[in-house]
Amino acid sequence: MPSSVVRSTFDRSVPVWITTAVTLVLLMILPLGWLAWVSVSSEQGTTFANYVQVFGDPHLQKALWNTIVLAFWVGAASLAVGVPMAWLTGRTDLPGKRLIRALIMASFVTPPFLGAFAWVMLAGPNAGLLNKVYRGLTASDEPLMNIFTMSGLVFVVTLYSFPYVYIMIVNTLELIASDLEEAGAILGASRLRVALTITLPLALPAIISGFILAVLQALALFGSPAILALPAGFHTITTQIWTFFQYPPKVEQAAAFSIPLLLATALLLQLQKRLLGRRGYAGVGGKTGARRPIPLGRWRWAALAGVFAVLACTIVLPYAILAKAAFAKAWAQPLSWDNLTLANFTFTFFEYSATRDAIINTLELGIVTATVGAVMAALLAYVTNRRLVPGHQALGFLAVAPVVIPGVVLAVGLFIAYTRPPLVLYGTLAILFVAYLTKELPVGYAQADTTFKGVHPELEEAGRILGAGRLRVLREITAPLARSGIIATWCFVFIGVIRELSASIILFTPATKVISVVIFDLKEEGQFAAISVLGLFMLAMTFGIVLLMQTALGRDFLGAKD
Amino acid sequence: MKRSRSASSSSSARKRLAPLVLLALVLAAGGASAQDARVAEARREGKVVWHTALALDSAQRLATRFEQTYGVKVEVHRSGSERILQRVMQELAAGIKNADVVNTSDTGHYVLLRRKNLLARYTPAGAERFADGFRDPDGYAWGWRAFPIVVPYNTRHVAGADVPHTWKDLLEPKWKNRLVMSHPGYAGSVVTQIIALEKLYGWDFWAQLAKNRVMLVQSIHDPGRTVLSGERAAGVNGADYGLLYTERRRPGTTLAAAYPRDGVPLIFSPTAIMSFAPHPSAARLFTDFIFTREIQQLLADGEGLYVAHPDVTYPADRPKLSELKVLVVDPDEIDRRTEDVKKRFVELFGA
Amino acid sequence: MPGVTLRGLTKRYGGVAAVDNLLLEVKPRELVALLGPSGCGKTTTLRLVAGFLTPEAGEIWVGERCLSSATAVVPPERRRMAMIFQSYALWPHLTVAQNVGYGLRFKRGMTRTDRDRRVSEMLRVVQLDGFQARYPSQLSGGQQQRVAVARALVVEPEILLLDEPLSNLDANLREEMRFEIRRLHETFGITTLYVTHDQAEAMVISDRIAVLDRGRVAQVGSAEEIFQQPRTRFVADFIGRTNLVDAVAATPDAVTRGALRLRVASADLTPGARVSVSIRPHEIAFATSTEGHAGDNVVSGRVRRVSYLGDAVDYQVELADSDVVLRVAAAPVLRLRAGEAVRLTIPPSACVPLPE
Repeated sequence: MPSSVVRSTFDRSVPVWITTAVTLVLLMILPLGWLAWVSVSSEQGTTFANYVQVFGDPHLQKALWNTIVLAFWVGAASLAVGVPMAWLTGRTDLPGKRLIRALIMASFVTPPFLGAFAWVMLAGPNAGLLNKVYRGLTASDEPLMNIFTMSGLVFVVTLYSFPYVYIMIVNTLELIASDLEEAGAILGASRLRVALTITLPLALPAIISGFILAVLQALALFGSPAILALPAGFHTITTQIWTFFQYPPKVEQAAAFSIPLLLATALLLQLQKRLLGRRGYAGVGGKTGARRPIPLGRWRWAALAGVFAVLACTIVLPYAILAKAAFAKAWAQPLSWDNLTLANFTFTFFEYSATRDAIINTLELGIVTATVGAVMAALLAYVTNRRLVPGHQALGFLAVAPVVIPGVVLAVGLFIAYTRPPLVLYGTLAILFVAYLTKELPVGYAQADTTFKGVHPELEEAGRILGAGRLRVLREITAPLARSGIIATWCFVFIGVIRELSASIILFTPATKVISVVIFDLKEEGQFAAISVLGLFMLAMTFGIVLLMQTALGRDFLGAKD
Repeated sequence: MKRSRSASSSSSARKRLAPLVLLALVLAAGGASAQDARVAEARREGKVVWHTALALDSAQRLATRFEQTYGVKVEVHRSGSERILQRVMQELAAGIKNADVVNTSDTGHYVLLRRKNLLARYTPAGAERFADGFRDPDGYAWGWRAFPIVVPYNTRHVAGADVPHTWKDLLEPKWKNRLVMSHPGYAGSVVTQIIALEKLYGWDFWAQLAKNRVMLVQSIHDPGRTVLSGERAAGVNGADYGLLYTERRRPGTTLAAAYPRDGVPLIFSPTAIMSFAPHPSAARLFTDFIFTREIQQLLADGEGLYVAHPDVTYPADRPKLSELKVLVVDPDEIDRRTEDVKKRFVELFGA
Repeated sequence: MPGVTLRGLTKRYGGVAAVDNLLLEVKPRELVALLGPSGCGKTTTLRLVAGFLTPEAGEIWVGERCLSSATAVVPPERRRMAMIFQSYALWPHLTVAQNVGYGLRFKRGMTRTDRDRRVSEMLRVVQLDGFQARYPSQLSGGQQQRVAVARALVVEPEILLLDEPLSNLDANLREEMRFEIRRLHETFGITTLYVTHDQAEAMVISDRIAVLDRGRVAQVGSAEEIFQQPRTRFVADFIGRTNLVDAVAATPDAVTRGALRLRVASADLTPGARVSVSIRPHEIAFATSTEGHAGDNVVSGRVRRVSYLGDAVDYQVELADSDVVLRVAAAPVLRLRAGEAVRLTIPPSACVPLPE
């Protein structure tokens, strides 16, 4: 008969996994449930009146239409920028790739609302510096570009959405063997023709998927439309939902207006998943043979100029104007010795009472959310990767599900859920913590998942067969190997938290402001200098963490090894 | 604020006055000790939470002054009037009571707050001498400061002949894409302006103005900033204090303001203590503080505001309120119509 | 040194049985190769023995201990086994010495000095003396493989499991390592299960080969038995190259297919039954080169294709009056050309009938 019989020693931990699953469900289901409930309630009981009111209002219909237009054009423009850039850096012999990748990564972590704000200073039709230069050069009356238009908004949002497309395409291109392209070249096709007729179709699933990602970004943004659309007199769904909270608040209508946004996002994500299959990237088959870079020849410099033109728009110009505004007495005046001052810094950090509290709140929330998030993500990723419990696929799904909820919608749901007994979290940092955790968990999980996929289960099995128990293996083998990946997870979540605006703007109270909200407040005051100072501070924090992450990972997180 | 009495110098009266002097000293000491008690109580409470629509730097300066004088921290929350109301009411709805002193530039708010019994009755020291329009017979919300709404413009972009003299001038097509205005959803004073001009010219005025594609900003000080930067040529509104005041006095400035002849809306910006104030003593101490002659003089000198205190002297270049044709709107009317006004504005202007 | 017994072992994934009622007995000190194409269940069987998987049914016994059953599984760390993985699974953050010495930490009564001594000894055995302080990333593929071997052997396991350990090496090294592993087995004498898809490897290394087909053992026996007396069509086809002729039994000792008639290596066929006949290419001779023996099958045909392979020549011969094409292996000396008419002699012992 069996001797020394023991079932898997982790059976005791199943309740732990179940608790985690329940927590996840609560995090998401609670706010969404309340949202759905409130959207159909009114004084008279359950009704669809809110939906009727909201979707029958021509003004709100316009907001809906604006959002669709914005999302579509951002998607298209992000493709137009992201795909060629991915091809150029991933396939050709373009020089300066390392610098380019670094700048694209910088675009990725720049909060879009800071970019929008910087572009107000660059391309406001009359005072914008670029327009001033343009008028000076051409003696024209008209500006080169008016940022306070739909096209201006599309432009700015694209600048910070194309990195998503870029990353998706670059990863796919790595999988296409050169042989396929060289076959075309040998048959006489030019470089461009090869790109269009061979590479492009192979990368099509990734391209469509990138389009969807950019569209999702555009749908959920709040800061950029608030900065660029409102002065021009038009709304998007997100700014409109925010407006519903003005006194007297119309929370039911905000809820009703949120639901379609949620459904649209869910649909798009489902579509994207279908396109990519289970692996999450577009595998194109064929041997992943050696990849030989395609020579650009005389197109080299033109391509490089194009690439740097884009990166100038996302990084160089905006950062420069932020620096100028931070150090100048009057940002619109030319830079001269008597226009320089440190007064903006003293005001922002020492006189403006909101700053210090906001910085403390942001750091507190960032550290706590990142730590809890990293631990949760690591646990979940480990359990799902090693299939430790039945239903692990459901856990994995739940961990990524929150990506479906746009920030502002999540905030409305959380607001409804936690401004009433038994659990009134509104007014504390806790409600912001819940929002951030829910929102950033998917990103954290994705990174943790990649980390554990990189630790071959055989490494753990080898330990076990030689005599080490499961926990010992975790401690001595898995943990050291996963450490840098989990640090990266922490950093990802932290960066996501400090730049979050669309949920914070609804859930904050004067006592629980964070930096992004303070920046937004200052924007409503028109305090360009203070915004620039805080913006630079936020960027400095972000890049500090990115540096930490790169040191931990030994490569930039777009995937290139050092 | 110390109460002081000057003693009579006549020697014959000295004997008679001695007990009075004694009484006075005792009372003064009592008053002083009452004051000390209040300061001590305020210090114990730790801070006062102040929501104000006063321009940020001014508000911050005032706060620092108070902290230096009494050692009680001021938590300044500056925002647009409408935003302030939204935040206070939102917090209250969730059971959070975290506002002590509230000052907005929308008199209608105080009608609303009074109606909901959210205001505490308190009469600041010296209130009986406040100028007309600043007093509250019920004793809840006192006019703290006032300012007119004017038309800021950039002298580099607007020639002398083009300077608008009446509000109707802004309707001319030559102003298309050249105007900026503050949004009533954020700045309380704009609601007053909209109603005032609607009473003069009807809604048609605003409908026509919308055709000029006015750039929309939030704070009532932002049109001045926008005009100064050159982004727009003139503003449909702008608070005539703070930036507009200090900048216009700078030599070589390009910022100017027109006072429309058909009337300037006069905005009273009241202040009140909330009934649920978590730091009531500090709130009262602070309220008295901001009504002292010293502070009010500061507001008049540094900001160009019109204030409640009767003993304040105004700079020579400030137009007297009596000289201006002012448009005043009844607070009850503002309270009644504010939602409708905002709704119509959004319909006309898009956002 | 115990043996391993697998009885009725079943493991299902979804609705499919990867291991299906498998029966196998490994004698003490024996090296049995689990051979089969991908998907046949050999790796799953190995992982069941290691304790990483729980069977749906059946039992795994090692000596007197039942280590796995459908209701209980002894965890891997208590099974007294060692395993060498296809990817070697060397821990990149530990040195060679730490890798090799890892399992020794769980042995009672070993001091640090004992451990170090044993590690050094074992490294010497695998010819990696002096590599103690290196990290796996600094080693070549062959060296990594030897570290994996050292790590497994140093703990003196009762059972040794190998999961295609040579498939990541290049061809020359693979051949060299085959002999090395056999030598180590003969030196240490540990009961071993060796998974591979390479028949040459299985034949060189093992005492016995278990050929797996869709989760079951199709045949187990020595290399010679399996090669010369395959018991199923699958085994015949998988081991070595073979010709398979589908025919019908005419008499108890002969089959026909159309006009072709062959005497086979058995005398108890059921007339009328369908039979597959396996004929190894090298057991067919050309009548031009040899007289053959009495009783041999003789058929005529025409050479369809000639493939020169260096140490042999591979001929495809179309038989006359038949649709059968036979592959024939012959020495390069014989220089036949395509299109030539030939005659083949096939001894009946080379025609192995297999059940359908």
